[in-house]
Amino acid sequence: MEVNIKDVVVPGDVAVEIMKSSEKERVILGPGLRRDCDRVLVTKAGVLKRRKPAIFYVDSYQKRYVPNRGENVVGIVTQKAGDIYRVDIGAGELASLSYLAFEGATKKNRPDIVVGDVIFAKLLVASKGMEPELICVDSHGKKGKLGVLSPDGMLFDCSLSLARKLLHPSCQLLTLLAKEQAYEIAIGMNGKIWMKARSVHETIAACNAILAAENTPPAEMPALCSSIARNLLRIS
Amino acid sequence: MQNQLETTEEEECVLRPMNCELNQLSRPDGSAMFMQGDTVVVAGVYGPIEAKLQKMMHDRATVETMFSPAKGPPCVDDRAKETVIRETCEAVLLTALHPGMAISINVQELQDSGGLLACAINAACLALIISSISMKFTVAAVSCMIDRESGKLIVDPDSTQIQQARVTFTYVFEGIKKDLVSCHTTGRFSENELMESLEKCRAASQNIFDFYRNIVEQYAIKL
Amino acid sequence: MASQYKTIHPVKYLRDYLAQDIRPDGREFLRFRSASVNVGAISQADSSAIFKIGSTTVVCGIKAELAAPKADTPNCGYLIPNVELSPLCSPKFRPGPPSDQAQVASKTIDDILINSSALDLTDLCVCIDKLVWVLYCDLICIDYDGSVTDACLGALVAALKSLTLPEVQHNPETGAIVVDTSDRKPFPLKSLPVSTTFAIFDEQLLLADPTDEEESLAKGKLCLVIDGPELCGLYKPGGIPISQELLSKSLEKSKKRADLIRKVIEAAVTN
Repeated sequence: MEVNIKDVVVPGDVAVEIMKSSEKERVILGPGLRRDCDRVLVTKAGVLKRRKPAIFYVDSYQKRYVPNRGENVVGIVTQKAGDIYRVDIGAGELASLSYLAFEGATKKNRPDIVVGDVIFAKLLVASKGMEPELICVDSHGKKGKLGVLSPDGMLFDCSLSLARKLLHPSCQLLTLLAKEQAYEIAIGMNGKIWMKARSVHETIAACNAILAAENTPPAEMPALCSSIARNLLRIS
Repeated sequence: MQNQLETTEEEECVLRPMNCELNQLSRPDGSAMFMQGDTVVVAGVYGPIEAKLQKMMHDRATVETMFSPAKGPPCVDDRAKETVIRETCEAVLLTALHPGMAISINVQELQDSGGLLACAINAACLALIISSISMKFTVAAVSCMIDRESGKLIVDPDSTQIQQARVTFTYVFEGIKKDLVSCHTTGRFSENELMESLEKCRAASQNIFDFYRNIVEQYAIKL
Repeated sequence: MASQYKTIHPVKYLRDYLAQDIRPDGREFLRFRSASVNVGAISQADSSAIFKIGSTTVVCGIKAELAAPKADTPNCGYLIPNVELSPLCSPKFRPGPPSDQAQVASKTIDDILINSSALDLTDLCVCIDKLVWVLYCDLICIDYDGSVTDACLGALVAALKSLTLPEVQHNPETGAIVVDTSDRKPFPLKSLPVSTTFAIFDEQLLLADPTDEEESLAKGKLCLVIDGPELCGLYKPGGIPISQELLSKSLEKSKKRADLIRKVIEAAVTN
């Protein structure tokens, strides 16, 4: 079946509009699309979307994370093996994190990380057939916001689409929530979210507020926020 | 337009009513409970996950399937079903995107009242759709039979009708050109019967593809 | 040089051949390998046959035993086919319990026989509800080079065609069984089902009777079973989708092949 932008698509559909628009611009095919000779075929079920100028992708519901280079993820350190840590980021295999990939780390001065720590890191290597590799520094050797997350926070899983929804610049949930509640949050593209508020009670309430957004369309987000503010937070 | 509506309504009567529940299971990356009449099957998909060393393939993902019957341990019959489901899913998935990984598809029969294999394949396809693993196309399985006495062709028969079957066919079609992906038959049949049943089932498969699109539409609103 | 190329690029190697309209073993696309059958080589078994398609070889031995019938079918005997894919026939198989592939092959052979009109299980009945014949059909693959289902079915049908069963006297009151081995009667086989395998390569290219190498590189497999004027099985477990024309073409080819194989088996049995 032939489909257009904003249509609901299933695998095997042909996205006709993309080939038409490719006259001058450089077209980028995002997740859920593949080229087959002179056609563009859909490989995932969801909604076909376009971002200006010519980035096309299929927005879909997904639980399993497939690592992509440059994405920020939240993971749990599960093993110490020689000079690397093994980190569970929810992908098919464990990611590796060198102890030198921290700000100011040297062979003598190792970062203080133990098994069970939650870390926020960036994917340096993520290609098919290779073990994903994480780092906790940017290209200038600064840690920025990356690194170990405090054990006082709470880690929970959500769908990848929720993580993407929260990170979208137009999503107001986090700002609205911040008006009601002070919190710290780390959202990984892998559908793991770490959150910390002033007390355990408030943390749990805030986590529930975020999970409630899972099944809410973006348009109904403001309504959800106000109901959260009314119900969840005021009680505490 | 009116005419079109009527024909679809007429065709809908051919298949037993379908129903499905998505992601009722919390652990799998995608799960679907699919009901076709009184036949009910649950399918859960994990993947891409780490492959076992013996089964790992360097150029594509391995597809593992497990079919569990409603009662008793799996027997040779279930192995044969498993093979059909596995090879069908292998045709559906873009396995080359995840080399060295595994995709595990688990199918549990809950109730069989005819067309179990077709129902299992449809459930597996829905579970793959919801798990967002890259696929080449969707597939729809349709079963049909020829009545022993009347020689009539019945599409998607239930368990009482199947008792009277001389021949049963299970066809799997892909969603783009509706070509035949898998086929399984029992009984003895002529070439004409084969071609006729193939055409009827191919037409009926459109209902299942429409059903898939409807399901996706329902959950796509939440994105 | 060619052998290194084949090891490094198996798919491309085959594709280069196919681009020249020929297969690595010199056959045309829709040409079958020669089939031969030898009946009665194993004197210990009640009947036996060796079936060869190219280098694929399957030996079938049938042992007939007397047993009580199943409760739900008191007037039917039964037939138990068992396909064995031993480590001898191909490095793909490991010693140990039967692999999934062997189990599925046994199941397929069993299905084909039940679906075909070749066998009337009531012919195996000696005394209703008391005594029936059980035919243990052991199919052992000696050389695995593709199209094993075809060879298995060929061997089994040839063995069944040449099967003779001794006359049995059963006294329902005393339960005494007298087997007269000097008076053996041929087992009536009503038809000869013949299966043909096709491999589908790349975009809708049909290869008849694939070798193991072609089978493992092919994108799909199709198995048709012809039983007299009708069909008694069409098995396609997944793989690349097949168009209607290709299906009709394979059907036509397999009918011709079935006639030939039937003649080969009949000639071997009458000799």
